[in-house]
Order: sequence, then structure tokens, then C-alpha cells
Amino acid sequence: MKLKLCCAAALAIFATAAHAQSSVTLYGVIDTGMLYQSTSAATFQPHAPNLGHVYQLKDGGIYASFWGLRGSEDIGGGYKINFKLQGVFNSTNGKFGLADTPGTTAIFNQFATVGVSGPFGTFDAGRQIIPMIYAMAETDVRGAQYFGSILTAWLGINQAAGWPGTSTNAPIGALYDSNALVYNSPKFYGASLALEYAPGGVAGQFQGGTRESAVLKYSNYGLNLSAVYYNGHDTNPFPLTYPAAPAVPATGLANNRFYYFGAMYTISGFSISASYGIGKNPAKSNTADFEMISGGLGYQFNPSFKVTSGYYYLKDRNNSANHSSEFAVGAEYNLSKRTKAYAQVGYVDNKGTMNQTIIYGAPVAPGESTTAAMVGIRHAF
Amino acid sequence: MKDNHIVELAVALLFVAASMNAWPQSGQPASGPASVPGASAMTASGAAAPATGRKADRALRRKVYAAIGKQKEISAGDIGVTAKDGAITLYGSVTDASQIDKVVELAKGVPGVTSVTNKLAVKKPLGGM
Repeated sequence: MKLKLCCAAALAIFATAAHAQSSVTLYGVIDTGMLYQSTSAATFQPHAPNLGHVYQLKDGGIYASFWGLRGSEDIGGGYKINFKLQGVFNSTNGKFGLADTPGTTAIFNQFATVGVSGPFGTFDAGRQIIPMIYAMAETDVRGAQYFGSILTAWLGINQAAGWPGTSTNAPIGALYDSNALVYNSPKFYGASLALEYAPGGVAGQFQGGTRESAVLKYSNYGLNLSAVYYNGHDTNPFPLTYPAAPAVPATGLANNRFYYFGAMYTISGFSISASYGIGKNPAKSNTADFEMISGGLGYQFNPSFKVTSGYYYLKDRNNSANHSSEFAVGAEYNLSKRTKAYAQVGYVDNKGTMNQTIIYGAPVAPGESTTAAMVGIRHAF
Repeated sequence: MKDNHIVELAVALLFVAASMNAWPQSGQPASGPASVPGASAMTASGAAAPATGRKADRALRRKVYAAIGKQKEISAGDIGVTAKDGAITLYGSVTDASQIDKVVELAKGVPGVTSVTNKLAVKKPLGGM
């Protein structure tokens, strides 16, 4: 009898807890297409051999396929508690996306956060897509898409700086950071500020493995402006042969710095963008010091059809033989509110040991020119 | 060398393309000084008051942007507003379909707006559903 009462009480508590929960949403996107690419490589090594042309079913022509759960609870006074669990998966083989340790995947590699939002702005703690990459996406006509954009350009300087592509731990800037504390301010006349600090959690090392970044943005009157500063300590401690060779111990070494300035202007159906970025390893600037320049032009014919193009130039400031220029153009057509079809073509001319890709996840042969074309479909659920 | 040339040409083309689009914008302030009373009277005699019309259009465009800019969740930098004698056309993108109606309502609510043509598209951000 007592047990029964207990159960009833427990159920009642559960029931009230469920009421307080305002909403939970299950959502996601599947993005799959056919890709042709005129060169390919197995790795991002600077002298990786050209394995020839490739036809493949490819995930993520616009952005990666992903799914997630999110919810928020209104706690009154204009405050909400928010959570988000979100991860990419490869629609061609069902595998989860990369984690921050080489050779491992994570179910929720994009977001695993809990936070609070209110009149002060929003604050989220956990692994997340950090403000830096949004600042870049908002000042790129190609929107930091997976095919030929500021994202592939930025990844290009990361590859040149030694990123093997086997973890999300990029040596110049970051797309995702684990252990991140991110604050986003509300807008004041179109201006907003985002701050990130990620404690390293390294015993005996206050600076060990920490990251900090600041983003200043303006968005009004058809104009987006972004300024980014990112600094990381002990980035990419994993040797190429990890886990056979152990990770380098964290010492608090500042070895990952990135600056970026970008602008995008929208007038009538046209969008124009331009940006400039510098990424380097401040501890070893003689091995990693790169410049990134972009320009973009797009036209929106009607609410369901647009064409975007972008030009991306990378330069190794230590060795003028290493540079790369890429041009990409894409058309997107919305078949419905939740489904769009797309076709994209890209060309990259890599010189020296540069290996800027045309699409994320398909390495090209370094030092050669490569053409790629993709048609695909992106469906949201 | 030849490749460098292609790069330069591509960059030059982009800049030309970019500046061509920027012209209509920079051209508007340039026509501002022309709208001093005497000058505007002169142009007004030529056509149906285009200088004052453009000035009014510009002011209305600003007001529409100011109204949209007050919404914290909508990025007015992604939206292109054009005004022509009280008729507003909205271009560009928002991040959610529900924001389209919101922006249209905001534009309609601005005094002086006679009609709103909506050409806004939905553009999902990186990692956004």
C-alpha cells in the first residue's frame, strides 16, 4: 500500500515536471547528392598522390545532414532554460560525425548544450558551433556552405597548417569547441557581441587547452559586418599517428590565432560579400601563417530560386609558392517549404602544397587544379 | 604567370561587379545635394518630381529598416528594402518562414507605406533546422 502511494507520488511529480517542460522538438535535415570530382586524395598530406577522378554519392552539398533534439522551459520573468542536442551524420553510410579526438565520432558533435536566455542575451554551456563561424557565414554570399565557400577556404588554411581532417580540432580558429561557455548579447541598433571561453580542464595548467574568442557583428540596413578574434591554447595535440603515439601534453601554449573581417550587402535581389582573414600559429609562425581573401556575388530571382557565387584566395605568407584560388557557383531551387534541389560547380587551382577542397569531406590532390560538380537534394524534417 | 593573370582578372571582375551594385546606393546620397529647393524645382519641371521622390523613398526605406531592426531575432542586414512612392519591396532572406510574415507586417505598419511586395526567401543558417 505504502509502495503504491510512493509510486503515485512519483508519478504525480513526473507529471508536473512534464507540464513545466514547454516544448521539445525532434528535427533534422538529410542532404545527399551525386558528386563528380576530377582529382582526389586519400589524406590532407601536403604531398598526397592524386588518386584520379571520382564519382560518389556525397553527404552535405549545402550543409551536413544532421538531427537533433531541443527544448526550452519558460521559467518566468522573461527567462528561459534551453537545451540542444544535435549531431551530424553521413547520409550515405549512416555514420556519425567527427569528435574532437582523432578516430572517434560523437553522437552530438554539433551541440550538447544547456543554457539560459533572457533580456541580457543568451548563455550556453557545452560543445557547440561557436560564434566565429556564424560571423563568417553571415558575410559570405555562399553562406559557409559545404561546397565552395568561406568554410572550405577556412578549412583550406587549416589543412595547410597541418589539420589531418580526422577530428574537429582545427589548428586555425574552430567550427566547434568542446567545453565552451558562449555568451551572445542582444542587438543594440543592429550591433551585437558574442564572447566565448572554453576552460581547458587540464590539471595544473590554468591556460592548458583553453580557447577564447570574441565576435562583433552589425546587421541592419541591408548590411552585415563581422569582426572575429579567436585564440586557442594547445590546439591539436594529437600527432598524425595517434593513438599509437600519445597526445602532446598541454602546457598552455598559445598556438592557434585567427582574425577575420567580413561584409555583405544586400540590395534588391543582389548580395555582395568580401572578407579578409589571417590565421597563424603564434608559437610557430614560421610554419603556419596564412591569408584568406574572399569575394561573393549572388542573385535571388524569386523566393524559391537563387544563384550564388564566390571566389576564395589562400596564401602562405611563409612560402609564396603555396597559394590557392577557388571559384564556386551554385543554384538552389526550393521544391517545397522543406525540400530544395541544388546544382553546384567549383574549380580550384592549388599551387605548391595547397589542397583547398571544393567540398568538405572530399580531399583533392595538392598542387593541382581540380573541377567538381554536384547535384543533390536537401530535405528538412 | 598566366594563372596569376586569371586570378587578378577574377578579382577585378568581382570588384567591378561589387562596385556596380554599390552604385545605386552611393548614387542616392550624391543626388541629395541636388535636392536643395532651387535645384529640385528645376528637376521637378522636367519630370514628375523625381528628386523629392527619391528623397522620400530613401527616408521611407530607412524607416522600414528601423522598424525591422528593432526585432531582435531578425537580421535586417540580410534584408534588401527598396521603396518607390510608398511601395515597398522586400528582398533577401530570413532564417525562418514565420519571420517573413513578421517582416511584411512590420513594413506595412510604417506610416507612408502604401503596399508591400514580398520577395523574401528562407535561408537556414549553418547547423540550423
